[in-house]
Amino acid sequence: MMLEYVLGLSAYLFSIGIYGLITSRNMVRALMCLELILNAVNLNFVTFSDFFDSRQLKGNILSIFVISIAAAEAAIGPAIVSSIYRNRKSIRINQLNLLNK
Amino acid sequence: MNLPGPIHDFLLVFLGLGLILGGLGVVLLTNPIFSAFSLGLVLVCISLFYILSNSHFVAAAQLLIYVGAINVLILFAVMFMNGSEYYKDFNLWTVGNGLTSLICTSLFVLLITIISNTTWYGIIWTTRANQIIEQDLVSNGQQIGIHLSTDFFLPFEFISIILLVALIGAIATARQ
Repeated sequence: MMLEYVLGLSAYLFSIGIYGLITSRNMVRALMCLELILNAVNLNFVTFSDFFDSRQLKGNILSIFVISIAAAEAAIGPAIVSSIYRNRKSIRINQLNLLNK
Repeated sequence: MNLPGPIHDFLLVFLGLGLILGGLGVVLLTNPIFSAFSLGLVLVCISLFYILSNSHFVAAAQLLIYVGAINVLILFAVMFMNGSEYYKDFNLWTVGNGLTSLICTSLFVLLITIISNTTWYGIIWTTRANQIIEQDLVSNGQQIGIHLSTDFFLPFEFISIILLVALIGAIATARQ
């Protein structure tokens, strides 16, 4: 019962993260929705690790790796957004065409 | 976590409600500051879910890294790049939004159908039978430490190199 409930919540987070990632016009909000997707994956990892692998706990280790990759991504993402903001004075997501000049 | 049944169920429903409302708030609120705070609410609820599923180390790491570092960094990014342009597209509902919501709803319904059609308890009993001979003399944190220093030692070192390179790259990108 609890397994299906948590998996359903994780599917909800994943789909709402994809919706926000596609439709947001603000780059920082797109980064937030990317964090939502990574958290949905982490929730799946930890739940499966608790239910199916409660001795080895390899899902917990994979979720720690995902968390550290998300930390690296959250360091890179606002740096790129701030450098685009410095050049364009705007963080709308359709202004990301600095490379085609 | 060994809680009595009604408290456990109440916590599950409460955290699920917070997670659903927080997820909606991240996407639908117009001010990015508010959506960053509701992202913090979602992250705290996920950390409490980890505590409920016996993964205390991952819960502490989630609370420290996500809420303490990533969410604060996103808040700083929002505050540095705050402009008056957020309120221009206030209620702009285009065809692309409708199409994307249709696609995401169908994805969600598909995932829910697959989850409810899978017989999870058969898988649980077949995996539990293999684990009955192993001893559980070590706790979860010790188990994670043993795995990180034996099986997953090379990915652990690679993760540290990736973090170092990412931080140096972020500083080099963000400076003037």
